[in-house]
Amino acid sequence: MKKIILSLLLLVASSSAMAELNIFACEPEWAALSHELGGDKVTVFSATTGLQDPHYIQARPSLIAKARRTHLLVCTGAELESGWLPLLQRKAGNAAIQTGAGGYFMASDYVALLDIPSSLDRSQGDVHAAGNPHVHTSPVTILNIAKALTQRMQQLDGNNTVYYQQRWHDFKQRWQASTERWQQQAAPLKGVNIVIQHNSWPYLLSWLELNKVAVLERKAGVAPTLDDLNNVLNQLKITPAKMVIHAAYQSPRATDWLVDKTGINKVTLPFTVGGNEQSKDLFSLFDDTIKRLLEASE
Amino acid sequence: MKPLKLTLLIAAVLAPVSPIFADDLGDLKAEISKMRADYEQRIQQLEQRIAEIEVKQNYVRAEIATVKSAPTSSKNNNSFNPAISMVLNGQFSDYSEPADGYELSAFSLQGEGGLAREGFSLGESEITLSASVDQLLFAQSTIALHDHEGSTEVEIEEAFIETLGLGNGLTVRAGRFYSPIGYLNEKHIHAWNFADAPLIYRGLFGNQLGTDGVKLSYLLPTDLYAEIGGTVGNGDRHPGSGEHSGIGDWLVYAKTGGDIGTNHSWQAGVSHWQSSPEDRSYSGGHDHGGGSLDPVLFNGDTDISNISLVYKWAPNGNIRQQNFTLLGEYFYLDEQGQLNNSTELAHYNGQQYGGFVEGIYQFIPHWRTGLRYDWLGSDLRASDNELLSDADLDFSGYHPQRYSLMLEWSPSEFSRLRAQINHDKSSRNDDTQLFLQYTVSIGAHGSHSF
Repeated sequence: MKKIILSLLLLVASSSAMAELNIFACEPEWAALSHELGGDKVTVFSATTGLQDPHYIQARPSLIAKARRTHLLVCTGAELESGWLPLLQRKAGNAAIQTGAGGYFMASDYVALLDIPSSLDRSQGDVHAAGNPHVHTSPVTILNIAKALTQRMQQLDGNNTVYYQQRWHDFKQRWQASTERWQQQAAPLKGVNIVIQHNSWPYLLSWLELNKVAVLERKAGVAPTLDDLNNVLNQLKITPAKMVIHAAYQSPRATDWLVDKTGINKVTLPFTVGGNEQSKDLFSLFDDTIKRLLEASE
Repeated sequence: MKPLKLTLLIAAVLAPVSPIFADDLGDLKAEISKMRADYEQRIQQLEQRIAEIEVKQNYVRAEIATVKSAPTSSKNNNSFNPAISMVLNGQFSDYSEPADGYELSAFSLQGEGGLAREGFSLGESEITLSASVDQLLFAQSTIALHDHEGSTEVEIEEAFIETLGLGNGLTVRAGRFYSPIGYLNEKHIHAWNFADAPLIYRGLFGNQLGTDGVKLSYLLPTDLYAEIGGTVGNGDRHPGSGEHSGIGDWLVYAKTGGDIGTNHSWQAGVSHWQSSPEDRSYSGGHDHGGGSLDPVLFNGDTDISNISLVYKWAPNGNIRQQNFTLLGEYFYLDEQGQLNNSTELAHYNGQQYGGFVEGIYQFIPHWRTGLRYDWLGSDLRASDNELLSDADLDFSGYHPQRYSLMLEWSPSEFSRLRAQINHDKSSRNDDTQLFLQYTVSIGAHGSHSF
């Protein structure tokens, strides 16, 4: 009898020990961060890859099935996923991931967002009322988010709070050291004039103090007209720029046009983990980003 | 030097508060450990503050440079307003045959099942409101305005409440909703890929099947998407009619789907709907000279089964650049009962079936083209064929078919221009149909359902 009880207890204990925190990351950068902070106590699913536009995603059957068994959603927020995440929440029949629940973590909630529009009108293109959602393009914001995410993991998985604390300290040290290194490496980029295709980079730009002289997409998310591009061309005659930047997942048509006309250096940045072969995790993402920017500025 | 300093420091911190003559050594120890804990906590707090300041230093500059006034509306009383969106559309239609004479062979056209009026016409203008009700419920309503014989009609297309995260994959919905039969049926018409309904939807449901009732769905806890569920409703909508002990129609369904790599995804569904219509009238009905119509009525049992299959492709799963959708559905209606009018009665056994296949290809961003093929069949038997004729049902076994080709331009997620041409053989009169259509959505961002 005792044996049976003991083995039952063991079974219960082992099953609860095996119960990992199931994390549903909307974008690969949050999947990578969840891995860094959660280690082997979490299983992470990324809803998108580095080559997908995270706004234009459909609430596919596979995503609904994943959301059903998720303990923690780690997403960007700020309306980036407004086309599909609310639908997943509704269809999953899962109380843990409803808005405001413990399993609902929006990274942009922990960042002072840039580019908050003073007026909202769709004639201005893809306007995000909450501000620019691409918060992962600066390591400074990532550190703030990591801290909040650690607290959230501890809250949801009380058995492993010490473990998460250790992972956080370890990550913080490595991240701060890397951030310093990146800043040193990127020192020559300070004040360099650049052109960007889409407004994906305000956090990166303000971190590295790059100087944006023009945006190819006059209206966010709307392909520029020939007039728009010619305006950029004229602007560049007055203030020449070193490079034009676009994200790997975006069509480079407008960028290529400018490169063709001016011979300006083209930089295809990975934008997120998995955006190119080199960007395997958050560290290599910034390694590669800085490297590409430096190469183009020479 | 250093340890000495630290000892001195600790002594200095402890000195003013530690009891000089402690009677009990235990008390003293406890006191000291409490002090130590307190001290460590303070150091920790200081460390934390330093770390935070370090982080902030980098960031503050960026913040100061870009502080902008946020839209003030979020602080107003209207921030609890539901998400409001409105879909507007209008079209120009041209037919080689008169629209009034349109018939779908062996099917009875109900509701909005006919052709849109020729020339310019305003389609349905839909207003959708949705919001969380409270911590448990979500509510959504779609109100459609459309013209019917010279006056504007208001129709509640959907109005339901739904549980929010009931748990264990369960969701309950109550109110008026589109039945989970088939793939297109649950989508609003403006989200369909063509300007008009598939012939089988037109023939069986008068474009779309809805019900007033309750829906229960259960999502299985599997990696492969698998959902089962059912509905019970009042059966008021065609081809239902009337209820028995409060229930007019019921339906069960199962859906599954998934991804194959990052480029491919699919969904398959089966469903079965049943109703026992009472005095369901057919669109025909002949004037027997008395000036009043004598409609043909059906009493009996109606079963509809559906299978649907959807496959989507997008390079790297990035649907914004390029994508392809292949969709096929098949419906089979089987009914047995009686047909009657005021003077005659006949036994009736009918099967109406058919389906469609459509392929939609977005070849470059904002541009899509698509091809659709519709096919219908029937086997209608009555003990008195005169009643079938009176009901305007063609029982000769003619197979309606239709080919459609469309081209779309969507400058943004919120607008679409569409041109479509049909070669329609719904009846023995071949018709060529042309549609030019705009559809826009204003207000809240719509959802990207699969």
